Amino acid sequence: MALAGRDERSARARILYITACALFALIGLRLFYLQITTFARHARDSDRNRISQTRVRAPRGLIYARDGEVLALNRIIYSITLERSTRSEYDAAVAAIRAALGEDAVDGSYSRNQRVIRLKRDVDLHTVAVVEELIKPDHPKLAVEIESQRYYPYGHTCSHLLGYMGVVQEEDLAAPSGRAYAPDDYIGKTGLEKEFESVLRGVDGVRFAEVDAAGRVRREFPEREQPAIPGQDLRLTIDLDVQRAAEKALPDSLAGAVVALDARTGAVLALASKPDFDPNVFVSTHAQEERRRLLGEGSMALLNRALNGRYCPGSTIKMVAATAALEEGLTDTLSSFPGCRGALQVGGHVFHCTGVHGELNLLQALEVSCNIYFLHLAQVLGFDRWRLYAARFGLGQRTGFCMEPPESVGLLPSREYYRQRGGYSLGRLMNLVIGQGELLVTPLQMARYTAAIANGGYLVQPYVWGQPADPVRIEGISPATLRTVRKAMYRVVNGSRGTGRRARLDQVEVAGKTGTAQGPREDSDAWFVAFAPYVAPTIAVAAVVEGGGTGGTAAAPVVRAVLAAYFAADEDSVSTEPKLAQADSTSRHAPPLSAWALQ
Amino acid sequence: MLPQLRDLDRPLIGAVLALGILGITAVYSANFASEVPVLRTVWQKQLGYGLLAIPLAIAVIRAPTRFLYAAAYPIFFGCLVALLAVLVFGTGEDAHRWLAIGPIQLQPSEFAKVGAILAQARYLADTAPAQCSHPRVFVASFLIVGLPMLLVAPEPDLGTALAYVAPLVPMLFWAGTGPAALFCVVSPLLSVVFSFEPAWQELTPYLFALYILVSAAAFFYLLNRLWLILTMVGLNLGSGLLAVYVWEHLLRPYQRDRIVIFLDPESDRLGAGWNIIQSMIAIGSGGLTGKGFLHGTQTKYEFLPAAHTDFVFAVIGEELGFVGTMVVLALFLFVILRAVSIASATKNRFLSLTAIGVASMLLFHVFVNVGMTIGLMPVTGLPLPFVSSGGSSLLANSLVIALLLHAHLNRHDF
Repeated sequence: MALAGRDERSARARILYITACALFALIGLRLFYLQITTFARHARDSDRNRISQTRVRAPRGLIYARDGEVLALNRIIYSITLERSTRSEYDAAVAAIRAALGEDAVDGSYSRNQRVIRLKRDVDLHTVAVVEELIKPDHPKLAVEIESQRYYPYGHTCSHLLGYMGVVQEEDLAAPSGRAYAPDDYIGKTGLEKEFESVLRGVDGVRFAEVDAAGRVRREFPEREQPAIPGQDLRLTIDLDVQRAAEKALPDSLAGAVVALDARTGAVLALASKPDFDPNVFVSTHAQEERRRLLGEGSMALLNRALNGRYCPGSTIKMVAATAALEEGLTDTLSSFPGCRGALQVGGHVFHCTGVHGELNLLQALEVSCNIYFLHLAQVLGFDRWRLYAARFGLGQRTGFCMEPPESVGLLPSREYYRQRGGYSLGRLMNLVIGQGELLVTPLQMARYTAAIANGGYLVQPYVWGQPADPVRIEGISPATLRTVRKAMYRVVNGSRGTGRRARLDQVEVAGKTGTAQGPREDSDAWFVAFAPYVAPTIAVAAVVEGGGTGGTAAAPVVRAVLAAYFAADEDSVSTEPKLAQADSTSRHAPPLSAWALQ
Repeated sequence: MLPQLRDLDRPLIGAVLALGILGITAVYSANFASEVPVLRTVWQKQLGYGLLAIPLAIAVIRAPTRFLYAAAYPIFFGCLVALLAVLVFGTGEDAHRWLAIGPIQLQPSEFAKVGAILAQARYLADTAPAQCSHPRVFVASFLIVGLPMLLVAPEPDLGTALAYVAPLVPMLFWAGTGPAALFCVVSPLLSVVFSFEPAWQELTPYLFALYILVSAAAFFYLLNRLWLILTMVGLNLGSGLLAVYVWEHLLRPYQRDRIVIFLDPESDRLGAGWNIIQSMIAIGSGGLTGKGFLHGTQTKYEFLPAAHTDFVFAVIGEELGFVGTMVVLALFLFVILRAVSIASATKNRFLSLTAIGVASMLLFHVFVNVGMTIGLMPVTGLPLPFVSSGGSSLLANSLVIALLLHAHLNRHDF
């Protein structure tokens, strides 16, 4: 039973040896390639498999009012989530939740691509308890996720100043600063939340952990953790009492704005604009409808009129002409022009006055706000000199207030401006001098202008956080001139014929000026600017009520309320320690939250 | 009755024991961190089967050669019956592969591999070398491997089915079949390869046509009878076309997936391609010396699927590195070459052919299993002999080694 011959056998054995060795060599080469040549790549892939980087979110800085009230904080919210589930697990869990808590207890829909599906965000503690105690035992993939959400305990208060937050958009992520954001992060969209985004946000940390294929954490590396750096808190200059008084005093039915500045430093004490909004709407998951309405066409609630409203100033601008005339020696407190007979014809145009005032000097003309007096004054003053003083008071220029969206410039027309629009004529100047022409101002500019009159000729730079800029002394306006203007403004409020008598306060001497601007609307825009106390003023206020009627009736009471709140608050001494607003489930900072793994 | 150790092939025993111990270690490492308690004790079961294998192996070594020769066909027949029984009474979760005998669950398909080798060796031993190129011999040989293959084909395991064919060609070659006749045996298989569309894409029809032409020319040169030439060309054409039909209509989707994924693992990174990718990451990240015993993160954190069974080689690659994989390969190569050398030295034709069958079976398993873990072969259910956990596989492979030791012990007897 022998095989073929012995030589034949060993020849065949040799072929089998070679075949086996060749196949093993193939495997050996492949192993060399995998384990030696491309080792680094596989080692990296292996690390990437097991090392998960979890972001530790930096708590966002809080925003305080001057006296420590918390205007913006971080609230803990609970969300019901389902992790790594199949379609049938999802359906079963959703059915169980709906059976226990009602049809609308689930919002999310199933997606195979998402590791974690949010079934419902921002649920109450009852829901958390029901899910944890009753439903989760049968549906182990359910989880309650803790998130941090911005919360504004005062709701509408300060809304235009604080702004609001929203989910980051493509363009935010594409920006150089966008690398710090994950796709469903929130970012400041307007107001201080946007202006100081980089200050408030802080720096997210990273936590490293070893995870298995199912995503369970097997080991953590606390020593390698990069802690989150919390965002910086902002302590604003806003006086919450004054702010709320301003918002309360502005009529609900009309649009309007109030700006109150510390006349010496430019610190913003109140900045209100109506209509306003509740910034919580933009972060809440329960207010989609409200959010859509606010963002929709035709809604003007998001316009910050204090900075971006452009108005005719009406008679509140008459102090410019008064200052210019006094400074240039064109008049004094005793001289007068031909008496006011209620109207004046200049060229082919008839200008009307608010009454028949007779012969007036400068102080009296401001007190009763006589247009005829200022029309005469304009003729001796001329356009260039009027414009020079308007510019010296900062009209037609940015105030330098840091805000998003940035303040409007307004419009201070130049000769060039008129050349492009049919040419300059004296009639143009006459309209400008009484605040009815092309001149457009913002309430913030008017507050600064009033502050400059009050503080004896310094242009302040309004600010709401940080250190005040050094006020700039206005060249070419002497303290004596402004003293006279202030005297006239005192008489507007306190004089027997004054148009601003409704701004009078018992406890402090108020000085101001009314304005009634005939704009495009049927009813005039009502203005009032004021400062107080008359001697050594500390506060300057500008208020406008769109379509409110005359300044003396519609705007003066608003300013009066603001001043009353300011001086009442001054009396009750100012606490320096932050007070915490009371709200459910709030804390100074939400604890660091780990949200998801970074890619 | 115990055999004297000094009479046995001690290097072979040493190599196989080393592989078995490495296997138990790797199985322990693959499961020690598992959250499933049953898996943590798999290595103990493996050790138990290893111990159980020793008396069986001694019995085979000590049995008279006459007896083994006589029992070859009955054993083969018994295996076929067991495979049939699996089809009828099979247990197991998703694969009908198991047969429960009391508390012991056995996989008859593993033992049938041994049975087929014995039957094939017996048949070829009874055939004179000069007759081995006769078509009758091929038909009978194909019948012997074809029967168990047909019976395991319904099991969802392509790899095991193919494992029966693997020893056929080397055994025929060893029995004395001429190169022309061997080409006739191999050419239909090549035809299947060249007609395989997923591998060659749009080149397939041209490649297949070219192969048919070249093989026809070869047949014309090698064979002298026209009817034989025409039959072979027809067989080649038929097997190629049949393969296309089987691929499109008979293979189950997951079987097709395995092959497509093997050709392009990235096509389904998180799905079926996951196994291959994770296995290559595990082995590649082992580097030169590995991450250390019990420190393989791919294994411990369950990125590596079937770590203690089909992908156990990846555990060794990850934890022991290139050094470890080379040691394992060297041990296997030694066992296989030793088997061929035993076959060379053994005078008894039946035992000699059995040794060749054993060598080729081991070679096929090692190449396909290791090839699968490193992306050279598609994913199949073939275990790595002596290393993968699995009692039936360990017992069957121990019997196979016992056959080698038996042949070595009796190498001088006819």
